[in-house]
Amino acid sequence: MGCGLRLAFPLLLLSALGAHATTFCVTIAGLGGEPDYEQRFATWAKEIDQTLKAGGADIKSVTLAGPDATRARLRTALEAFAKEAKQQDSLVLMMIGHGSFDNVDYKINLPGPDVSATELATLLDRVPVGRQLVVNMTSASGGSLHALQKPNRTVITATKTGSEKNATVFARYWVEALRDSAADTDKNEVITALEAYKYAELKTKQFYETQKRLSTEHAALDGGDQSGPLLAARFSLLRIGSIQNAAKDPAKQALLAKREELEAQIDQLKFQKAATPLDEYKKRLSALLLDLARTQAELDK
Amino acid sequence: MRFILTFALAVPLLSQTVEDCHKHDHFGRRAEAKQCYEKLTASTNNAARAEGLWGLRQFKDANAAFRLAVAAAPKNANYRVRWGRLLLEGFNPKDASDLFQEALEIDPKNAQATLGLALVASDGFDSKAVELANKALELDPKLTEAQELLASLALEDNTPEKAIAEAEKALKMSPESLDAMAILGTIDLLRDKKSTPWFDGILKINPVYGEGYAVAGKFFVLNRRYVEGIEYYRKALALSPDDNASRAQLGVNLMRLGFEKEGRDQLVNCFEAGYRNALVTNSLTLMDSYKNFLTFKTENTIVKVHKKEAELIQPFVEAELKRAIATYEKKYKMKLTGPVQVEVYPDHEDFAVRTMGMPGLGALGVTFGNVVAMDSPSGRKPGTFHWASTLWHELSHVYVLSATNHRVPRWFTEGLAVHEETATAPDWGDRLDPEAIRAIKEKKLLPIATLDRGFIRPTYPTQVVVSYFQAGRICDYIAKTWSYDKLLDMMHDFAQNISTAEVVEKELGMKPEEFDKKFIAWLEAQTKTTVEGFDDWKKKIRLLAESAKTGPPEVVIKAGLLIRDVYPDYVETGSVYEFLYEAYMKKDDKPNAMAQLEKYSSVGGRSSVLIKKLATLQEEAGKKKEAAASLERLNYIYPFDEELHRRLGSLWLEQGNTKGAVAEFAAVIASKPLDQASSRFNLARALKSDNRIDDAKEQLLLALEAAPGYKPAQHLLLEMSGK
Repeated sequence: MGCGLRLAFPLLLLSALGAHATTFCVTIAGLGGEPDYEQRFATWAKEIDQTLKAGGADIKSVTLAGPDATRARLRTALEAFAKEAKQQDSLVLMMIGHGSFDNVDYKINLPGPDVSATELATLLDRVPVGRQLVVNMTSASGGSLHALQKPNRTVITATKTGSEKNATVFARYWVEALRDSAADTDKNEVITALEAYKYAELKTKQFYETQKRLSTEHAALDGGDQSGPLLAARFSLLRIGSIQNAAKDPAKQALLAKREELEAQIDQLKFQKAATPLDEYKKRLSALLLDLARTQAELDK
Repeated sequence: MRFILTFALAVPLLSQTVEDCHKHDHFGRRAEAKQCYEKLTASTNNAARAEGLWGLRQFKDANAAFRLAVAAAPKNANYRVRWGRLLLEGFNPKDASDLFQEALEIDPKNAQATLGLALVASDGFDSKAVELANKALELDPKLTEAQELLASLALEDNTPEKAIAEAEKALKMSPESLDAMAILGTIDLLRDKKSTPWFDGILKINPVYGEGYAVAGKFFVLNRRYVEGIEYYRKALALSPDDNASRAQLGVNLMRLGFEKEGRDQLVNCFEAGYRNALVTNSLTLMDSYKNFLTFKTENTIVKVHKKEAELIQPFVEAELKRAIATYEKKYKMKLTGPVQVEVYPDHEDFAVRTMGMPGLGALGVTFGNVVAMDSPSGRKPGTFHWASTLWHELSHVYVLSATNHRVPRWFTEGLAVHEETATAPDWGDRLDPEAIRAIKEKKLLPIATLDRGFIRPTYPTQVVVSYFQAGRICDYIAKTWSYDKLLDMMHDFAQNISTAEVVEKELGMKPEEFDKKFIAWLEAQTKTTVEGFDDWKKKIRLLAESAKTGPPEVVIKAGLLIRDVYPDYVETGSVYEFLYEAYMKKDDKPNAMAQLEKYSSVGGRSSVLIKKLATLQEEAGKKKEAAASLERLNYIYPFDEELHRRLGSLWLEQGNTKGAVAEFAAVIASKPLDQASSRFNLARALKSDNRIDDAKEQLLLALEAAPGYKPAQHLLLEMSGK
């Protein structure tokens, strides 16, 4: 995350919290092929579902696993969301399982007919939300990147290309990211798509290093336009604290505004860190942080 | 000078000339030899030309000439033998061996070809070397070189009396056998005799025969007497400056003792002279990588670690090294004269370069004087390597080698080091493994008097590992039956260059044969249940593994408890403890699940996953102290685990071990966590508890810099600011 991004982020988050928006989520766990994978995929999908449902009333989640994870049901879910969703809403599609890529198109293996990346792109295009996030965690998922790329759609894949065909572990750590507060690196009580991606990417890398295995997956993130990971950094996946409560209390608006101002000043100071003498930087940062802590304490009363 | 008089058979028409060249070499008449070889290069006979080129050290051209010679005379076994010898000298034992085999297919009674195979086996410390050398002698009783080889092999086996007898036989065959004289001279030197006539004798025959001192250098290094080894390699080079084999050994041994500058210079000289075997090139590559290492010095320690993991591993290694030094100073009743240098290699291949050409050395760590080189735990799969145990093992060598001035048999120093591992903590060290069980069952353990052979020239693939086990148990037995001080008495006896047999007799009051009987009886009694039940246990654990996949937990528990204590030391993947833990967890019987893992851990189980599960159960049961102890074990096994340090830090902090908490949370930071804010906040909390207020404030500032809105850190900031 660049410095410019840090400056912009708190404002964007607050404006997102201010509007009443819904996040529509579809999680699909495809065919495992053998009992171990079947169970693993279904468990991860279930855990994602539970986490999302505990994350807030603004989330509408559909989870398809086992025999329910069919092409028809996936279409139905996305078509239903397409009817309900509005511009201020968001859509998240998370895919777990085995994928394949024939150098032309990507497919996720489902009971019955598979679904290709091209077909998925068409279905997603019909959902009229302002922002979309696709997390394709299957093997060969890199092969879906090209078909799914679109402005305002962040695409995360477990593999860089369609030729990385071994079963992936990225999904395991993506699930973990949604449950582990350590993924919330800026401690704003919101786990963004970018934070979850960085968490899962690092843990996946560490998995292969620790097991002394050649890494057969290299995760990728496509921001959908020229902004790189900006969209992913703004994409609130999960709220893990009480931040939204304060935003709803009119009596605390002045304090919220002050906090916002202090956060902006801190970001500004951090931006100038390299050009500021270290002692002065620390002194000013300490003062701002103390002020921010006092403000937050008032807000929390 | 192994090839003298050998070519006469190969090229009868030119034998006089080739033989003359070799004679000039043998007597050290270098100018004449050179002239002679130059003449040979003009020969129209490819084999003779090859010999000439070889004599002039033009290996590539000699190789090409031999290729032509063999192509022109495919049925000539001797050409193939000579070509093989050239390749053997040119660091290509595989092709050399193939050529010797081809020669034997043509001429099954070719003594030179058999000798060639013996030399290849000897270079690889293969036990077949002796057999092959004897066979060569049977085929040609006048083959002095085979007899010289037998003398050398006997000395490698640490049987000097036999080596003397073999060398004397060689001298009877050829009174001018320079290598036989070198062996006899080396034995005198190894026995600390003030003078030896043999090297003067060599120089009378060949005034520039540095290779004689190189023989001494080799055996001093094999006996871990590196300083003297270096001294003899220097003498060799003084007589024969073009002897790059000696120069390479000098360079490598200087490097081993930490004299990097001179070591590197010597190796570069070899490389530039075209002497580029694996020893030279790999050592230079390793030394090139030193720029990536950081060195941390204290009064008595030097720790060298790769910069990518220095921040994490250095504090653990240094603390453990200091603890071990303090312990050994008391146990061995001595202080080292200089600091101990420990080098930790994350890449096992780098570590392996350190042991090249050394037989029977540990695969995890190695000691050269006061320098210890070892694998980093990051270089191995978690749970497969106990780095602290290895460090204590190697440090024991530093003390024993120093106390004995490097005059100690391999079995004793290894045995004592193995003994020290479990003496430090019962769950350290290696467990009774299937190889050792098999060796006990099949009566394959060696007599104490010849146990060194198991390290140097193993006769079966796992004999080195079994010999480590046996040597360790011998020291356990002596410490238990007599006393630990008895081991120290033996150590001091060895310093006087007394043989194992004599030391056993002097200190333990019995003949080695009697000791062997008593020791084996003790060991068999100790391992009876496991050894006798091993075959049945193997069958049953396979069934248990199957049952664990689908069977009801009650069945797994019943079957598991029946076999667990038959082989309690088995703590590898798929252990009975693991199956029992899972079965009890399926029944939600956490106390029993925890009990299984507690036993697993106490016996020496090393799986990070299982030990962390144990700590979780212990925490849930309110056994916080035990949970911390379980996690602390993992610091000695695989410290590259952020979660481990976070959990242990929290437990220490909760229990008031503020210094421990600071160390653990600092290790979290060193792990470069994604979550900088909470990691720095935790460190700040620990530092505050340890009354390091300024440091705590610094970490708190860093936590909030990463996440200004991090509420726990904000609360601490307000608290520390008095607001």
